[in-house]
Amino acid sequence: MATIELAALEKTYPGGVRAVDGLSLTIGDGEFFALLGPSGCGKTTLLRTIAGLEEATGGSLSIGEREVTRLAPGQRDVAMVFQDYALFPHMTVLDNIAYPLRIKRVARAARHEKARQTGDGLELAELMARRPAELSGGQQQRVALARAVVAHPSAFLFDEPLSNLDARLRLSARTFLKRLQRELGVTTIFVTHDQAEALAMADRIAVMEAGRIRQVGTPREVFGRPANTFVANFIGSTPMNLLPATVTDHRLLLAAGSLPAPSGLGARREVTVGIRPEYLDFSATAVPDALSGTVGIVEHLGTSSLVTLETDGGPIGVVVPEEAEPAAGSTGWAVPRPGRVLLYDNETGDLLPT
Amino acid sequence: MAGLGTGRAVLFVVPALALIAAFLVFPALWTLYLGVLKYDLAGSNAAAPQFVGLGNYTDALTDPRFANSVLLTLAFVGLSAVLGQNGLGFLLAATLRRAVGWVRMLVNGLVLLSWILPGTVVVFLWQALLDRNGGTLNALLDTPGAAWTLDHPLATIVVFNIWRGTAFSMLLYSAALDAVPTSHLETARLYGSGPLRTFRDVVLPRIRGHILTNTLLITLWTFNDFTPYMLTGGGPEHRSETLPVYVYRMSIEGGQLGFGSAISLIMLVINLVIALFYLRLLRRRGG
Repeated sequence: MATIELAALEKTYPGGVRAVDGLSLTIGDGEFFALLGPSGCGKTTLLRTIAGLEEATGGSLSIGEREVTRLAPGQRDVAMVFQDYALFPHMTVLDNIAYPLRIKRVARAARHEKARQTGDGLELAELMARRPAELSGGQQQRVALARAVVAHPSAFLFDEPLSNLDARLRLSARTFLKRLQRELGVTTIFVTHDQAEALAMADRIAVMEAGRIRQVGTPREVFGRPANTFVANFIGSTPMNLLPATVTDHRLLLAAGSLPAPSGLGARREVTVGIRPEYLDFSATAVPDALSGTVGIVEHLGTSSLVTLETDGGPIGVVVPEEAEPAAGSTGWAVPRPGRVLLYDNETGDLLPT
Repeated sequence: MAGLGTGRAVLFVVPALALIAAFLVFPALWTLYLGVLKYDLAGSNAAAPQFVGLGNYTDALTDPRFANSVLLTLAFVGLSAVLGQNGLGFLLAATLRRAVGWVRMLVNGLVLLSWILPGTVVVFLWQALLDRNGGTLNALLDTPGAAWTLDHPLATIVVFNIWRGTAFSMLLYSAALDAVPTSHLETARLYGSGPLRTFRDVVLPRIRGHILTNTLLITLWTFNDFTPYMLTGGGPEHRSETLPVYVYRMSIEGGQLGFGSAISLIMLVINLVIALFYLRLLRRRGG
């Protein structure tokens, strides 16, 4: 059990590439924390720097009151599950799970006993004598998890833990991982490029871009109030509508219509309006304070559909319940739900306080 | 049946088979035949070879010079190939992985150079290195007049063969180490395993097949290597006379073609035994 603290942590590669750019962050004891970002944003490097597999070039890092910035990976008391699970092919499941104990020189009988117990808890009891090559992807993942659990570390580090599973298995593994983490109560950091995965599993998410953190918050905060247009674009399975608007007395003028402007915008003239398609209601008849356009593409999402309204200011996405699906070519109005219109600064891309 | 049909398939294979028959099978059978004759390069036995049955074989097996040669070959193979090239090759491959780009390129290049240069060129360089009067080694060690090839003939050809052949092992092990996933090494490291332990637990089981294959190849190559002859001529007093050198001196220098053939066949049998031994070890890995 441990709090993980990053203070101005930095990792610059010899070529001058700054993969982790002075990050400060506190991850609470027992928290399930996601590092989320596109490829090359530095999230994996950050995880590896926390593990000690990469050496920090600046700042400091502590795990549970213990400063570990210069410690070897083996002394940091963390367990990592790699994307490819890194199971040793020549060892049985039992020996794989018992491996951390073997390094700690636990006697054979004792470590096998412990490995068996841990394996039982992860539904691996029947598979103990098998080799990794004889296991399915999901089973391999559980063996890798068991090996991490048996080491009894103060923190778990997962690198893209679900990316090697097929889509259906990924969903059940998500639930499984979250339950396991909650039961063990061990501080866990996981890296993912899949925003849905981060939203589903994490207690808190750090969204990263180019070695920096763009926003840290609960899934609800990150989804509902993205701190900048980068996060707004990245989070959500349907992209957020980002539309240019002009502010006049208490109104936001958009190409597709006008909306009431919140107070406190000051002298600002040009802003970007951000509304999630899920926070727009569709209307087939004209309504005030709405954006209008022609119904273009309708994409089926299951219980709802994503309707693209073609407007003078570009396409606007609206999520519509399946029974209210409009016909293509008809005219439609998109009405923002109260409090769901976000405004972003045109230059910095930051969320404006409203 | 899909494909060419038997007739045309045979037609395609026949030229290759004919070449193999002419240059491999026939000489082998001819050697077998010569082995039972008393057949010399010159003299009455050249004109009318005498049938001696297994006489050549019993002669060889009771010849102390043959026994000496077998022991020398085993020492030569064991020290220069199995231990020397194998060990140094692995060490180079393992260390160079962590070296900076230009160091790796430089060392790789030099090691490879010693491998790809023609034997005659290489031997000439080594003669210049080991020469008693004015040799480079004597100048470096400040030991004027030390006669390396005369005083330490076996050590000379062992060191020479390590120098000459390490490149192959280095290349093979470098490829083998590339096949060990980084995440496996890092997993061991994260749980607190040191380098030696990681090598034993993670790397070794993974490259065992490579080690056996490499050892098999360099054992056979070294066993049949004739280059030492160019360096020491098998001497002094047969002290660097490995089997190929022994065969050459007996059959070409001594003119006893029949006897030489018999020893060649014995060498072939020894090679087969070695190969079978390694292949057995390799197969055990699967089970």
